[in-house]
Amino acid sequence: MMAISPALLFMDRNLLARKQSARLDKHNDLGWKLFGKAPLRENAQKDSKRIQKEYEDKAGRPSKPPSPKQNVRKNLDFEPLSTTALILEDRPANLPAKPAEEAQKHRQQYEEMVVQAKKRELKEAQRRKKQLEERCRVEESIGNAVLTWNNEILPNWETMWCSRKVRDLWWQGIPPSVRGKVWSLAIGNELNITHELFDICLARAKERWRSLSTGGSEVENEDAGFSAADREASLELIKLDISRTFPNLCIFQQGGPYHDMLHSILGAYTCYRPDVGYVQGMSFIAAVLILNLDTADAFIAFSNLLNKPCQMAFFRVDHGLMLTYFAAFEVFFEENLPKLFAHFKKNNLTPDIYLIDWIFTLYSKSLPLDLACRIWDVFCRDGEEFLFRTALGILKLFEDILTKMDFIHMAQFLTRLPEDLPAEELFASIATIQMQSRNKKWAQVLTALQKDSREMEKGSPSLRH
Amino acid sequence: MAKAYDHLFKLLLIGDSGVGKTCLIIRFAEDNFNNTYISTIGIDFKIRTVDIEGKKIKLQVWDTAGQERFKTITTAYYRGAMGIILVYDITDEKSFENIQNWMKSIKENASAGVERLLLGNKCDMEAKRKVQKEQADKAFSSLARDILLKSGGRRSGNGNKPPSTDLKTCDKKNTNKCSLG
Repeated sequence: MMAISPALLFMDRNLLARKQSARLDKHNDLGWKLFGKAPLRENAQKDSKRIQKEYEDKAGRPSKPPSPKQNVRKNLDFEPLSTTALILEDRPANLPAKPAEEAQKHRQQYEEMVVQAKKRELKEAQRRKKQLEERCRVEESIGNAVLTWNNEILPNWETMWCSRKVRDLWWQGIPPSVRGKVWSLAIGNELNITHELFDICLARAKERWRSLSTGGSEVENEDAGFSAADREASLELIKLDISRTFPNLCIFQQGGPYHDMLHSILGAYTCYRPDVGYVQGMSFIAAVLILNLDTADAFIAFSNLLNKPCQMAFFRVDHGLMLTYFAAFEVFFEENLPKLFAHFKKNNLTPDIYLIDWIFTLYSKSLPLDLACRIWDVFCRDGEEFLFRTALGILKLFEDILTKMDFIHMAQFLTRLPEDLPAEELFASIATIQMQSRNKKWAQVLTALQKDSREMEKGSPSLRH
Repeated sequence: MAKAYDHLFKLLLIGDSGVGKTCLIIRFAEDNFNNTYISTIGIDFKIRTVDIEGKKIKLQVWDTAGQERFKTITTAYYRGAMGIILVYDITDEKSFENIQNWMKSIKENASAGVERLLLGNKCDMEAKRKVQKEQADKAFSSLARDILLKSGGRRSGNGNKPPSTDLKTCDKKNTNKCSLG
């Protein structure tokens, strides 16, 4: 941001110069064809510079090309040089001299313009100063947070991570520079995956890809030999999906800097868990991890993340268990937002319609990426419960809009959330969501519902497939 | 609130992953060709109101995820659909072969008598064509009511025309049915 600002200031100044010259054109259509050339609008900057130089030459001042830095300074201390040049210039010798009256009028107009321009510039400068201060403040607080995470929390992870202080800091968002480390620690490595295992799985995936690309018939025979539960065949789908992962970022597509990493992680996972294989939605999760971790560490985090009960239920598309999750979600939905809940029920809007996308991609596809990362931060801290709490936070944030909509508009709205969704407002909304229903917490509600559905299955064996 | 439409139809898009379902629906509802594809997870929605014989027809199109694994989820959305559009990619034989499986899914999950429409997408890639028009005609000739067409999602201008023309045919039948029922 800092690097761009001089350029921005320069542009602002440029715009101002352009506006002035445009106005001057209006004031006196005849008089400004100075030096035999009308300043072209597109060349306003160039022209004003040229004119400025000519004026400076005449005035005997040394002329230097303005550096961007100078521009910044000049902006705060306004010197309308180009205008001076235009106004005070006598008419060319081949034209009759300006009458004194007209010269006086022009001088007056010029002075008025300078006063106006100075006022504008001052206001603009104040606005920019305020902006800069705000940015500095934010950067300073991030800088301080980085120090706290690096020097205090990370070295004492085991004892500190669940302390009140750390939890509060965590809620505010983990600074991007330590985010990967914190995620890795919070997700853990229950599966004890080593870098070597990653290499082995990746080698296996590469071998499969090679055989896929060489001969079709051979592959088919090979496939026939595998049991239906083997999902290594989903390797093919990975290629297709990589180009459709955050296409706007243009970094995961063929030839992009992260294409191979994403390909590797998804391929290796498919060979590591052939019973799960590649499932759409995974590419988004892997992509977010890649943005914050090295390849092998991203693979470890990815595999452990997908191994969590909620993620396993969804990525194995265990429909029964997914329905249980939706049912638990609805318990808290009704508790927190009874009016909206009734409205959804009335319109037959079931949670699967919007939750599938949100849970499968952990919000990375539906929310702006920086906001999604903040959701991930707290998800790493609080677990699956936070995913559903976030969903309720979103619903609450848009409750007023949603209650005025019919089924299809709600469905459309929720499957494509506003792009400018404000982070602070969303987190404030999430904070108000109570994950407690009749003294029962999320995990208890979920377990109770799971037990119910198991008993129902037992009770009516005909329903079992 | 006065109804802004005379008839409301639920249409469903199904077909293998990557055949261009979302692209088609965006083309249809927004008259816009988007080159930055994003995979559909679960389900997506689009609405478009069309005028047919002076009646305002509101179409809500349900766009499903194509991966085989999602079938258990997506088949739940077949119910209540009045028209189902089966999409394949003319450059991808497998996507055409799988139409049989998708047909089976319809039979098992959709309401009886649902209108079906077979659509071969990516006609702008004629050079890479693997599925001939005759093949599609022959394989699905038993479905006399079904309309066969090829649409090039990418071609602007008249690229929009084939789907909308054929959707109309599909809807008209539904309109008749509705008025009968």
